[in-house]
Amino acid sequence: MGLSVGLDTAAKALRAHQLAVDTAAHNIANANSPGFSRQRVLLRPLGVDGSEYRSRDALLGKAGYGVRASDINRVRDIFLDFQVRQALRQQAQWDAHASAIGKLELAFGEPGDDGLATLLHNFWGAWHDVVNDPESAPARRSLVNQTTTLTTRIQRAYSDIVVQREEIDRNVEAMAGRINAATREIADLNFQIKQVELSGDHANDLRDRRDLLLDELSRIANVSYAEQQDKTVTVYLGTHEMVTTNMYRPVAAVPDPAQPGLTKLIHTLDGEDVVPGGGELQGLLEARDVVIPSLLAKLDQLAGGLITQINAIHTTGFGLDGSTGLNFLTGTGAQDIALNPTLATNPAQIATAAAANLPGDASIALQIADLELATTMAAGTLTFDQYYADLVGVLGADVNRASGLAESGGMFVDHLEAMRQSVQGVNIDEEVTLLNASQHAYNAAAKVITVIDEMLDTLINRTGVG
Amino acid sequence: MRISEQSKTNHRLTYLQTASEQLERIQQQLATGKKLSRISDDPASGSLVMRHRETIAFEAQMRRNLEGGRAFINASEAALGTANDTLQRVRELTIQAANSTLSTDERGAIAAEVDQLIGHLAQVANTNFGGAYVFSGHRTDQPAYAVAGNPPIAVTFQGDSGARIRRISREDAVAVNVTGDAVFGTLFDDLITLRNNLQSSVPAATIAASLTALDAGLGRIIDARADLGARANRFEAAENLSLRTDTDLQQLRASVEEVDLGETVVRFTAAQNALQSALAAIGRTSEMSLLNFLR
Repeated sequence: MGLSVGLDTAAKALRAHQLAVDTAAHNIANANSPGFSRQRVLLRPLGVDGSEYRSRDALLGKAGYGVRASDINRVRDIFLDFQVRQALRQQAQWDAHASAIGKLELAFGEPGDDGLATLLHNFWGAWHDVVNDPESAPARRSLVNQTTTLTTRIQRAYSDIVVQREEIDRNVEAMAGRINAATREIADLNFQIKQVELSGDHANDLRDRRDLLLDELSRIANVSYAEQQDKTVTVYLGTHEMVTTNMYRPVAAVPDPAQPGLTKLIHTLDGEDVVPGGGELQGLLEARDVVIPSLLAKLDQLAGGLITQINAIHTTGFGLDGSTGLNFLTGTGAQDIALNPTLATNPAQIATAAAANLPGDASIALQIADLELATTMAAGTLTFDQYYADLVGVLGADVNRASGLAESGGMFVDHLEAMRQSVQGVNIDEEVTLLNASQHAYNAAAKVITVIDEMLDTLINRTGVG
Repeated sequence: MRISEQSKTNHRLTYLQTASEQLERIQQQLATGKKLSRISDDPASGSLVMRHRETIAFEAQMRRNLEGGRAFINASEAALGTANDTLQRVRELTIQAANSTLSTDERGAIAAEVDQLIGHLAQVANTNFGGAYVFSGHRTDQPAYAVAGNPPIAVTFQGDSGARIRRISREDAVAVNVTGDAVFGTLFDDLITLRNNLQSSVPAATIAASLTALDAGLGRIIDARADLGARANRFEAAENLSLRTDTDLQQLRASVEEVDLGETVVRFTAAQNALQSALAAIGRTSEMSLLNFLR
């Protein structure tokens, strides 16, 4: 009776340490798996208390009945998860915003010798050259060229920004797929986790996966979540339930009637707009719906201002051939600003004089050249050049701020992630040490069996043998 | 703090990323010579650079205007110099002719020379510079004076009093021309009268009376030359001022926008060392494992 208890104890030890070795192997295998939490076997000594193998011999009973691997837990800090997700949301928002609007700066090429500012200066300079020599055909041709260069560049800046808006829009559209993929999988995992944990086990790896998806969702938008009694998580975006038990409610990308050509995300259940409240989606929407429209409007103001101000003067003037009443620029905004094609083919018609047949009079041209110094923009507070510099400056400051916030947000995420890793991450040296310990314990338990075997041999085969 | 495998990897990646990024940035600065490639690199400096660039471009244009203006002024001034010499010669001849002892033939010879001089003066008044008749006001496509007859019977002004104005600074727009009517006034009529008198037998005193008109004409030309000279000086001064502004602003702009080569090379070396050290450290620590010490 006593010896068989020892055998049983040793057998339990073999099983427990086998499990510990398996767990270490699992940890080592997943040392680099994102979102993995290291797992620990909970070893519990089996004492005499409550044991059905109660011995009548008090001394034997005190040795206990071995060990039981009661559980395999994952090592994880839920509060750190919460902090990391908050930080991820902030960082992802500014990162997406910064990279979306950072590309807009390229449309202007400032500061540089081939930026729009330089072309604007060249344009005014060409007018001055015409003022200096109103009779000169080369000066007029040069003005035609500089004007065409400028207007083409303004148009291109506008279309570059529109293209960038379309690219952002495609990213917004793709968000619907990313959100749905995550919520669908969370719903599936909810079902599986519930099943596994109902039977009293821990669904460690399934939970790791679900936590990783919550990280991903937090990066996209300001989601909230709560774990329920039945071990499922409910996920909300604002007041909208995204996942509940094993059901998910998809979002959809649909054409936005308020912004033709652009997309908006809606909750399919009630058709309401998705309000991200933070995260990557918020960063993209702010770039698309706030920064870009304001930039396009300013560019339109600039182009429209040039068109109206210059034409207002130009129409009153006279060309070398006596022509008058002509517009210098055509179009209404940045999209279509262009030199009047009549003037392009016949630069002599550029109106420079205040009356016909005064080839040496450049008073009209001087008035136009002097628009460079006039504060005609922003309710009479800025010149064209200043208005443009302001437009580029505001954008630059926005980009700078967003990248700064993205960078500091990234550092914060790294810090929290390191803390999270410090709790849940796998350290191979540590696992190898534990592996060693388990190996020794396993070997020792095997040795116990050998010893008991010898004892049984002694008892059965040798006792009483002459 | 407990360190996990993923933390180690993340940290190593961060070190490498930071060091390479820094190196890349400095390398780009060295290659382009610019430390400010986008406004967002430094919005405050960016705005400043744009303002400087605007002023630099404007000042460069003003110098163009000034330079071209000075050429026009100099052409006018040179023409008036010749006009002055011509008129001085007429004055000498008039004084000679006012001497009552001259014979009719001698007076005739003087009249012939005055004819020549009138023609010469008309040519001077019709000076063309770069396709524009400089004394025609705004009617620069036609000579300032139309000469009728040969020898001339009438020399009439066909320009206007239009000023040829250009901008020379933020504050000032200035005319570069003087017009024929203002400079020559009734001079051509006076000269034709003088020539007619020389051809007829008017008393010497009548011829001497022309001196008043000639002196008035000379006075106007001298005034005009002085005026043009003053403008040329003003233009030159404005050009020098603009050049000084340009030098100052170029320096300011360069200090914000362009890299200090020496400093950047030093920073490049430092960044290179940082990356090399990071690589070396990672290389060493990556090899460290408990496994190396177990059988």
